Amino acid sequence: MLLIRCPYCEEDRPEVEFVYGGEAHIARPLDPAALSDQDWEHYLYIRRNPRGRHHERWRHTHGCGRFFNAVRDTVSDRFEQTYKAGEARR
Amino acid sequence: MSDAIAIPPLAVAGTDLALESNAVLPGGVTLTLEPPASRWSLRARTAEALGAVIGRAVPTRIGETLDGIACLGPDEWLADPPAGTVVPDGAGQPVSVVDVSARGVVIRVEGASAARVLCSGCPLDLERFAVGRATRTVFETVEVIVWREQADMFRVFVWRSFAPWLWHALKAVQLG
Amino acid sequence: MSGYRLPAGGRINRAAPLDFTFDGRAHRGFAGDSLASALVASGQMLFGRSFKYHRPRGILGMGTEEPNALVTVDRGETGPGWGRATPNLRAPSVALYQGLDAQSQNRFPSLKFDLGAVNDRLGALFPAGFYNKTFMWPRSAWEKLYEPAIRRMAGLGASPATRDPDHYDATYAHCEVLVVGGGLAGIDAALAAAQGGSRVILIDEQEELGGGALSDQALWGEVADKAMALRRLDNVTVLTRTTAFGYYHQNFVGAVEQLTDHLAPGEAKGARERLWRIRAGEVVLAQGAIERPLVFDGNDVPGVMLSSAGRTLAVRYGVAVGRAVAVMAVHDSGWRDALALKAAGVNVVALIDLRAQVAADLVSAVRAAGIAVHLGHAVTGVSGRHGVSGITFAADGTGHSQQLAVDALLMAGGWTPTVHLWSHAKGSLRWDAGWGAYLPDVPQENCRAVGAGAGAWDLGSGLALGTLPGPKPIWQTKAFVDFQNDVKARDIDLAVREGMRSIEHIKRYTTNGMATDQGKTSNLNGLQIASGSLGRAVTDIGLTTFRPPYTPQTFGALMGHHKDALFQPIRKTVIDGWADARGAVFENVAQWRRARYFPQGGEDMHAAVARECLAVRQNVGMFDASTLGKIEVVGPDAAEFLNRMYTNPWKALAPGRCRYGLLLREDGFITDDGVSARLAPDRFHLTTTTGGAARVLAMMEDYLQTEWSDLDVWLTSTTEQWAVIAVQGPLAREVIAPLVEGIDLSREAFPHMAIREGRICGVPTRLFRVSFTGELGYEVNVPAEHGRMVWEAIHAAGQAHGITPYGTETMHVLRAEKGYVIVGQDTDGTLTPDDAGMAWAVGAKKPDFVGKRSLARPDMTAPGRKQLVGLLTEDPNEVLEEGAQIVADPAQPVPMTMLGHVTSSYHSATLGRSIAMAVIADGRARDGQVIHVPMPGRTIRARVTASTVFYDAQGSRLDV
Repeated sequence: MLLIRCPYCEEDRPEVEFVYGGEAHIARPLDPAALSDQDWEHYLYIRRNPRGRHHERWRHTHGCGRFFNAVRDTVSDRFEQTYKAGEARR
Repeated sequence: MSDAIAIPPLAVAGTDLALESNAVLPGGVTLTLEPPASRWSLRARTAEALGAVIGRAVPTRIGETLDGIACLGPDEWLADPPAGTVVPDGAGQPVSVVDVSARGVVIRVEGASAARVLCSGCPLDLERFAVGRATRTVFETVEVIVWREQADMFRVFVWRSFAPWLWHALKAVQLG
Repeated sequence: MSGYRLPAGGRINRAAPLDFTFDGRAHRGFAGDSLASALVASGQMLFGRSFKYHRPRGILGMGTEEPNALVTVDRGETGPGWGRATPNLRAPSVALYQGLDAQSQNRFPSLKFDLGAVNDRLGALFPAGFYNKTFMWPRSAWEKLYEPAIRRMAGLGASPATRDPDHYDATYAHCEVLVVGGGLAGIDAALAAAQGGSRVILIDEQEELGGGALSDQALWGEVADKAMALRRLDNVTVLTRTTAFGYYHQNFVGAVEQLTDHLAPGEAKGARERLWRIRAGEVVLAQGAIERPLVFDGNDVPGVMLSSAGRTLAVRYGVAVGRAVAVMAVHDSGWRDALALKAAGVNVVALIDLRAQVAADLVSAVRAAGIAVHLGHAVTGVSGRHGVSGITFAADGTGHSQQLAVDALLMAGGWTPTVHLWSHAKGSLRWDAGWGAYLPDVPQENCRAVGAGAGAWDLGSGLALGTLPGPKPIWQTKAFVDFQNDVKARDIDLAVREGMRSIEHIKRYTTNGMATDQGKTSNLNGLQIASGSLGRAVTDIGLTTFRPPYTPQTFGALMGHHKDALFQPIRKTVIDGWADARGAVFENVAQWRRARYFPQGGEDMHAAVARECLAVRQNVGMFDASTLGKIEVVGPDAAEFLNRMYTNPWKALAPGRCRYGLLLREDGFITDDGVSARLAPDRFHLTTTTGGAARVLAMMEDYLQTEWSDLDVWLTSTTEQWAVIAVQGPLAREVIAPLVEGIDLSREAFPHMAIREGRICGVPTRLFRVSFTGELGYEVNVPAEHGRMVWEAIHAAGQAHGITPYGTETMHVLRAEKGYVIVGQDTDGTLTPDDAGMAWAVGAKKPDFVGKRSLARPDMTAPGRKQLVGLLTEDPNEVLEEGAQIVADPAQPVPMTMLGHVTSSYHSATLGRSIAMAVIADGRARDGQVIHVPMPGRTIRARVTASTVFYDAQGSRLDV
């Protein structure tokens, strides 16, 4: 079980308190109607799935309740860092 | 280590688990069901904004408690104030005040080994959890709020329908 | 008979004899014995039959590495209690207790005479990969012939056939330092770590601390002193009989503590085992090393065992493995063992070592002890089938040979540091030529290895061999590498000749290292043999991955408390007890249990549901709807938020009014629905489906926190705050009127789809006028603690009107008569609002809402989509099966073209016939057409109705 640092609680908390939320920094388009079918498909379904450094969303569901972002290595499973939702990509 | 401890078989089905008013665990830890009380879930962007609306100071750091109010998240507080306290509903203000008095129950876990009893199913290091702290967490698969009021007394807030399971899961804990 | 109890010595208590049985035969041992030591002491050398060839096997090692001596221990208290029987226990790790009942495995009809042993004679037919090669043709024979036969022959032990009556405990634990392994290295590490006051946990799998030192009498005093020192420290937790089975991320270690298996069943109280989930700041691995067997023809005859096993038997348990014992060594430790055995009183007659040169002090000491020394020799054969009767050994294995009558042969093949947990945690390994083994190199966690497990223990020097040299070519030998899986040296050689290059392939082809012992004694020998066959260095072949568990663990321990009544929480409403007392039949919905129907006087479900349905249509019924998910949405931007989430418009909804909300995922598919009420300009009371409550709240939080964090609105789950009592039927108003205060219930003042706040039975209520039945109806929300009281009051007040409690089955029928969908039953995550016939719920003028853009994707508007429609069977008494497939042409050969499936199907007492809903390709265009539902042996004809509404299509019964 991983330990995950919640950037809101500012402490390492056990993985069972968290829920994974998919790839991070995929903002919902402000005007979806303006997107082509292909762009909308890309927004909905296409993900990077990198080997190595991955930006992803987690939610401290059974804690402070907040969504936040994390950089995790998909090879080692190690968290490099976590940061609050809305902060710039790291 | 376990020679003197006997656990009665849980002969009942899961559907027959029922809350009791109190219980004494083999290790001397007691469980007590607290009577109903008024509680509110409070939400606002900042502690100041919330304090201004409800007319009380609220804690500012996650995990802190102050006069019966616990800060659970950056915009979330649980108010479990003394009996008779009334929290205004904040109509029209940028806050959310929701009465959750009936949503759950509080199980008081008390005794020298109270932290170890809770550690049986809670993954937090509760031995090092400071007195006066409160947090939302889990006990096995059930979400709870753990509030350490004293070194040897924790209050465990749990939603009503999960309470019978939690009560009996705590009763089943065997201290080594 | 070869093993016997020495007249003195060992750590056993000779004043405390213990009686036990093995295969029903009575034996006697002493307190402190293991099952293995007690059996060897009574002359039993045959412990079991091997997996594939059913060869007779004795013990190989005296620790967790033991691959052969697997037994089933039955702990039934009175007579056979098969639920308390545990198969595949390693006899050396089973502590003896009074009355222990152990049975050998994998033999029929008896251990000594086993019919399966014919496999051994036919061994040439079962080479490596034989499963893959032999049982290919004919294909049809696999299921009926080959697989059942193989399953009967193979397998280790038998699973308990009845429920496990035991309880299991579980806990989390936190410490600054966790030490795994209670030998001297681990004890020293724990003592050092404890000096600073840190919390230290020391885990050891054995009955007592000491590890390998328990087999060295000179170290007993040191072990005792240090163990005592540890137990005096408050900050140290010592867990014996505890196995760390897995080492996971960030120093999270899983361990299982045996609490009662070492006790006679009558003395065992409390939980049987405890699962420890430990988070440690630092992990110190002190797991020691495991001795390697030597690979030569006949190395599996009972009585051939590891040198360390012979030593442990003699020194720790006071047991001689034989009357005349030989040692075959390629490592110095065998020489020391020979001396230790001799000192303990065991008749060691010969020491054979393949090496021509051995340290002079060892040679002279062994010679001085009266043991014949044969340097530069190797054992080439073993006589005896159920036990050793003699050995053949030859100069360099191939030269002049001699014979020697012995009844036990010890193998000293060198040592393999135990790196299992180190590898679980992704620590890297380095090859050490001196050890002939891999040693821990660079850790990935805050972890270090100490003692023999780190290669930091002086066990002497020796050779690292694949096989001992011998006179026969490899394919003529029965030289075992993996004893549990019956993998021979020649199997590995064959795998290489058949093209396997990677050790991972060789492992899977031969099954070397794949048994329950995880290759503890076979991995390194297999690697050396493959290296020789491939002509490549060991380090070029790789090493198979170690994975948890280190040793097999019980399912019970892994489940912990989640068993029987505590298996999982079963959520019940505050009204559940009332229903239970009235004989309701329940069903599970998500984690909730809900009353399904209330049978009266021997009614079956059909009769009860028919009665309940008619009561609601004709008079009034009451229903516990408390499980509905509820979310309070509060804040100045509440309406704006809901407008963005739901498909329909919310901003203009007046306080006091309700609205049906349809929720899509961003991909355009229906995910939830529910009726919600506006209590105030900035306060809404949302409802969700019972199963969707948590999911919908999480989805809304996601949008609110990450997309629209500028909105001043907050979400609070109030599912359990409110008990909900649906009062439905033409007489609903009359029933509740006398109980309600402060609310004008008249049609004009309180219309359909409205909410009022007031009091009922003296407690606050949020009273909804809504209907999921198509009748006049109310949903009475009261704080949960008052739910039972209000329910009973309504039930009492309704008696004059014939009020009838009804359950979820009736609720389903009533809503189906009205064509109301149940999300998750009539929808399956692939239906758009239009597919579900609910285009009316989509706000056409709204520029955006969650899922809107997806509804315009080409596939979402293409013809051929499955649409929700009604179905009426031609035979009105025929009730279709939910989930049944629908076809257009019943004569089409298989595979038929499926048009869709039945989603809901009931008998409607109100309509006097069956009704159904289904999703069918282009369903609405098939209005009036006949479709076919193929069932076993027959086909059912039904007619499509484009509308799913079967009853009161105008809705006139709602607005009264």
